[in-house]
Amino acid sequence: MTQRISKYQKFKMMNPIIQFFKFIYLSIKIMIIVAGGHGGTRENIK
Amino acid sequence: MSKIVILGAGISGHVAASHLRRKLSKQHEVIVVSPNSNYQWIPSNIWVGIGRMKSEKILFPLAPLYKRKGIGYKQAKAISFFPEGDKNEEKPYVLAEYIIGDKKGQHEKVTYDYLINATGPKLNFEATEGLIPGQNKTYSVCTYTHADHAWEGLSEVIQQMKQGKKAKILIGTGHAKATCQGAAFEYILNVEQELRKHKVRDMAEVTWISNEYQLGDFGMDGMLLSYKGMTLKSHEMVEMIFEDRDIKWILGAGVNKVKDGIAYYENLDGEIKGEVYDFAMLIPAFSGHGFKAYDKNENDITEKLFKGFMIVDADYTPKPYEEWSVRDWPETYQNPSYRNIFAPGIAFAPPHAISKPRKSKNETPIFPSPPRTGMPSGITAKLVADNIIDSIKNGKESLHHKGSLGNMGAACIASAGFGMTKGSGVSITTYPIVPDYEKYPKTQGRKLSKTFGEIGLAGHWLKLALHHAFIYKAKMKPLWWLIPE
Repeated sequence: MTQRISKYQKFKMMNPIIQFFKFIYLSIKIMIIVAGGHGGTRENIK
Repeated sequence: MSKIVILGAGISGHVAASHLRRKLSKQHEVIVVSPNSNYQWIPSNIWVGIGRMKSEKILFPLAPLYKRKGIGYKQAKAISFFPEGDKNEEKPYVLAEYIIGDKKGQHEKVTYDYLINATGPKLNFEATEGLIPGQNKTYSVCTYTHADHAWEGLSEVIQQMKQGKKAKILIGTGHAKATCQGAAFEYILNVEQELRKHKVRDMAEVTWISNEYQLGDFGMDGMLLSYKGMTLKSHEMVEMIFEDRDIKWILGAGVNKVKDGIAYYENLDGEIKGEVYDFAMLIPAFSGHGFKAYDKNENDITEKLFKGFMIVDADYTPKPYEEWSVRDWPETYQNPSYRNIFAPGIAFAPPHAISKPRKSKNETPIFPSPPRTGMPSGITAKLVADNIIDSIKNGKESLHHKGSLGNMGAACIASAGFGMTKGSGVSITTYPIVPDYEKYPKTQGRKLSKTFGEIGLAGHWLKLALHHAFIYKAKMKPLWWLIPE
């Protein structure tokens, strides 16, 4: 086993307070990406 | 009055049916034909497969909901397509066979004005010799019943480990061209965490086996992504996670045969190898359902509708990987021969893979097929429904709504362990799903501000929130339509 994620990083990944704010941030960011629209790719083809 | 028939009641079919019913007046008929009696939220199957969620929590019966909402429902399976009708029936129809009740075994011509083929994939276990869920110590999490069996198998192995027996666990893809690596990725991380919770992690060797050339390919040719202010390659991120959790990996592996506790595979060097295991979860190949189509005179016209999956407005011209373009991918999911037939979700035939095709030294193709999971399935189903609604309301064909996978983002919230305080998730977003090398030439075809990765407890909460939100939406509870696909 190779420790690739430090104990401090793991603490941040599992800290409920930090992760609560991360949850809000991720929810908004994902909503923007996912609900931010979609469309075609051929509009510029003549 | 128009009659819209939807084949399938999975994510795609159900989204299309619910939007059509909400936006069309009751004078128009919306009918769902599906062999399944339940709606299931497939992304949560991985939690059923580790015993952390009962399968009843991820499904609900369709018939009462459809009755309440005024959606017609026939529990039947489609057999063949007659897009011009036949000598006795002027309207186009689908021949369906009832699979339950008094009408079991009876055939019915289900006529339509518009047809949405949302039949998804056939789980083609037969393509790999011996790959049968629940047999040869192999399992699947593709359906809730498979996931229930997987948990039974896993818990038995955990009990054996508690009694001192060492075990090998193998998770990944069960075919050289399988897709859905994301589900297997979630499952291996959840299983690894469960082993730790049961205090048997040191008794198990956990191995990832996949047809990917590199870790983190996910059938999307991998990606560059933003992670903690850096730009990482997805294989570096997954490698970090696997190494940290002591998960071994075998790549470029086309599993072609499974015997009791041994998975045989060919690698890209053309070597035939075997991997021993005590418990395996291997995703099968996906294929079309083998539907046939006939014209008015009952001549076989299957090639006009199907190319394995259904033919839509994609560019199917064979071309080398270097010439692939986002413009090859469909925008409206309309069949070019019969313009009142659409195939959103997984039911449409992709123009080609997304990952670079590779062959072994024996000329065996070993690379992932393109994934088309929940979110794009929902988005494409909604845009198909919107185009049909516009066409009906305007009295002429309208294809205003478009959604190419080359101009659409996707979020993959991969659970990496269950638990409100001990859980974890790997959240990855990608934009676009199909890389656009013309628009984003320096970042491997992806927009970096919209392609990022995060690891942590928040990812688990997010996945749990999505589970509840999408089941609420699928049950068509008040204001369900405000929740995006």
